[in-house]
Amino acid sequence: MGSWLVAILLSGVLCSDLLVAQQETVYMAVLNSRKHRLGALDNPTVGLFVSTDAGATWQHKGWTGYIRTFYSEAGLDGTIWSGCGNGVLRSTDRGKTWRITTGGDVTEVLKVKVSPSNPKTVYAATAYGVFKSTDRGETWQQKNQGFGKPFVADLLIDRSKTKRVFAATEEGVFLSSNGGDQWRFAGLQGKGVRFIAQDPKKADRLFVGTEEDGVNISEDGGKTWHPSNGGLGHLTVYVIAIDPSDSTKIYLGTHGGGVYRSNDGGKSWTQKSHGLQNPDVHALSVIPSKSNIILAGTLNGGLYRSIDGGETWQFNSQEEAQVWGLSVQ
Amino acid sequence: MGALGPMRTTFNILLLCTIIAVPVGAQSIFEQRHGEVVRIASGERDRSFSTITAKLKAGNDVPYALALLDTLTVDEAIGGMFYSYSLIGCYLHTQDLLPDSLKRKVREAYRTRTMYRGDTENHWVMYYTGLYLAAQTWPNEGGSRWFNGRSSSENFQEAGDWLNHWVTTSSTIGQGEFDSPTYVTTFITPMLVLYDFARDPVMKKKAQMMLDLLFVDFAAEHLKGNYGGGHSRDYPEDIINPLAAPSTFWAWLYFGEPGFPPWNETRYRPRHRSAWEPVFGAVSSYRLPDIIYHIATDRTVPYVHRETKRVRNVIRAGREMNPPVYKYTYVTNDYILGSLHGGILQPIQQHTWDVTYASDKPNNTIFTLHPFYSGKELAMFFPEEEKFLSDEVDRYHKVYTNPNKWNSSSPYEQTFQHENALIILYHIEQGAKQPHVDGFFPKNLDELLRDPSGWIFCRAARTYVAIYPLKPYQWMEEEVNWRLRSHELNNGFIVEVGSADEDGSFEAFQEKLLQRKPEYKNFDSTRTVEYTTRQGAKMKFTFDGERVLNGDRPSFKDYGFFNGPFIQSALESGVIRMQYKDKTRTLDFKNVSIVETP
Repeated sequence: MGSWLVAILLSGVLCSDLLVAQQETVYMAVLNSRKHRLGALDNPTVGLFVSTDAGATWQHKGWTGYIRTFYSEAGLDGTIWSGCGNGVLRSTDRGKTWRITTGGDVTEVLKVKVSPSNPKTVYAATAYGVFKSTDRGETWQQKNQGFGKPFVADLLIDRSKTKRVFAATEEGVFLSSNGGDQWRFAGLQGKGVRFIAQDPKKADRLFVGTEEDGVNISEDGGKTWHPSNGGLGHLTVYVIAIDPSDSTKIYLGTHGGGVYRSNDGGKSWTQKSHGLQNPDVHALSVIPSKSNIILAGTLNGGLYRSIDGGETWQFNSQEEAQVWGLSVQ
Repeated sequence: MGALGPMRTTFNILLLCTIIAVPVGAQSIFEQRHGEVVRIASGERDRSFSTITAKLKAGNDVPYALALLDTLTVDEAIGGMFYSYSLIGCYLHTQDLLPDSLKRKVREAYRTRTMYRGDTENHWVMYYTGLYLAAQTWPNEGGSRWFNGRSSSENFQEAGDWLNHWVTTSSTIGQGEFDSPTYVTTFITPMLVLYDFARDPVMKKKAQMMLDLLFVDFAAEHLKGNYGGGHSRDYPEDIINPLAAPSTFWAWLYFGEPGFPPWNETRYRPRHRSAWEPVFGAVSSYRLPDIIYHIATDRTVPYVHRETKRVRNVIRAGREMNPPVYKYTYVTNDYILGSLHGGILQPIQQHTWDVTYASDKPNNTIFTLHPFYSGKELAMFFPEEEKFLSDEVDRYHKVYTNPNKWNSSSPYEQTFQHENALIILYHIEQGAKQPHVDGFFPKNLDELLRDPSGWIFCRAARTYVAIYPLKPYQWMEEEVNWRLRSHELNNGFIVEVGSADEDGSFEAFQEKLLQRKPEYKNFDSTRTVEYTTRQGAKMKFTFDGERVLNGDRPSFKDYGFFNGPFIQSALESGVIRMQYKDKTRTLDFKNVSIVETP
């Protein structure tokens, strides 16, 4: 064992592995591309791409063909989850092999969220409601009790109390206090809610992005909500990313307006789209270890990267692709 | 003319004798034609599993077929659900002719190829049929041997469960992608393959019953190769030229109509990606029951056929998941007039109403529509973002946002039909995109008269059509048709259809119509029209309001699942009874049985 370790150290392999381990891993779900043509021989590769250098370069993982990959993220145990048209996919070997963990009853999976306290517990937000697994995807149960209309675009697991789960629905925000067993309406009646985010510093501070009504904020864990659209107007907000090192710095991905940034915790917003060639931003991530690096996934314009906190953007990859989801582990 | 008279009489007698001498029925039609399908398809080189199957079965062009199959095991040009079922169908039909190395490659394809399950009913039927048969063919293998990481038994179980669910749904409340002249192929073909190769006798029986159901559903609205009336989905090229649709090929193979092989004329030549899928019918052991053949072809007595289908899954912006679709069709020996009740019943490719008539000429149809499109409509059915869906759909379906398109589901269109009379009303909201209605009138009509009375009279062979636009319109010439276009937002049409059998001469037909006009005073505020048909039926119809017939309010509940002289079924019963003269055939899906009398 000792000589084996020495050999590896000499070869430098372990050094590079250690370096990688210190970097965040970014998961990018590419839904499709405008270059895709039914039956064409040269269709671009879509699906899951992974970066270990803060989004500078990417490596494809998993299926190469179009299965409508909406979102991917990893749990604390390293398991990678992908929400797809084909269901919930799972890889336990860093993306080398995959298994569809769900059956014919689970489809159009828009988000997969892993509990921050227990990587065996996974929720799927789908067009047909919420599904939950407590055994790392071996079995799934539908969890729709309390929903009026079950279309769920996003889920947020409260990191301070992981049984509390928020759901973004077409009829507002819903909250479950018992891990999805029962849902109750939690505000924003009649608003199409697209995204829910939690302040990395204050757990009771929540943000939602809405269809054609900008951003709403709750300061009390979802009991009350107030709009906060100064400088933003009533744009559709697809995604919200908060700087983990400075939670007053918040980024929005909008339809038609590109990226907006707030430097005051969401009180006011300024458009930060210089260099973005596509104004429909559906995915955003702040790289935690280098929070001036922001990634923006667009609808049909590929991935953009900023290294100056959103002041300027450079095209990164995925020409004409729909970058539907980004997550960082 | 006079000199030809005796000769024509002799010819007619000879023809009659010939008709009498040739046995007529589904079996004889199929036996005459299935070999020809395989023979002709075996000469095609279209990179499809159906033509590979034909080549190998016919022993024609075999080296090419084997080489192509080899290529397709790794070629991503054919993918997902289309690949899933047609590869295994081809393999199971021809495995005795394949070298072991190629068999291994086919097996390997189910480990390495991406197989997208899809987002429509036909996708899922194809995907799960392929998965079911592949898992049955290669049992007892672990997840590492399958593209999805699931074992043979898991895949077999999942696919079987889903297929059972689909059969139950389709036989009780109907298909979401119902009565599509194009997509019917994507249901018939997987069911043929499933019927031929499912080892479980119950699954095999269900496949047979679904084939019967698909064919009889088509048969009741079939006229000489045409799939008449309203459709859930179809392409504009097929809507304006009904015999160009893939359903024509199935009609030719199983119903014996039209009289010409579909591949023989350029205008009808199969042009769809799945053009030669009927090869899977030609090599199948499935045989169409005679009763369905007769339902498809006996047009001696005009009839009303009503049925209920369902809207495909509404995932948001709706009140219920699968609202019903009410479909009314009037069928004669010369034409079919049919309609869906209106509104958004299917995204993208809905065809709400038409009159399709028997003719030697192409473009044998007349209809109107509102060319609606909206991201919200698409968001009802697809989970992607509303604001980007229209463009995305345009990439695949080309015409979705085109103001001149010939297929559309519109919330601003509703219908009320009674036998061969139809009222179509439009109430287009202020600010709506594409605020006009269009009408399709083929230029090759035998006669066309836009009468000062307001009626538009058309004659095509033995069919007469009269259309009364409620509002002013433009008349625009296009390549194969006249386009009626009206920019009035509150609008509508009265349609009456007749024939030489029903009305005598075209002039007599016109005369009857000239004596009547719809009542629609204050239409912009009431959106109500009253009309008495030439046969005396009093119709009153209000957009978003009542349909009144002779003082009664007909109930859509009376449509049942099927309600016509040839097919009877109560909604959700799962029991479908076909009748032709004294013969019956009952499909009992709840007990998975078929009972025939006598």
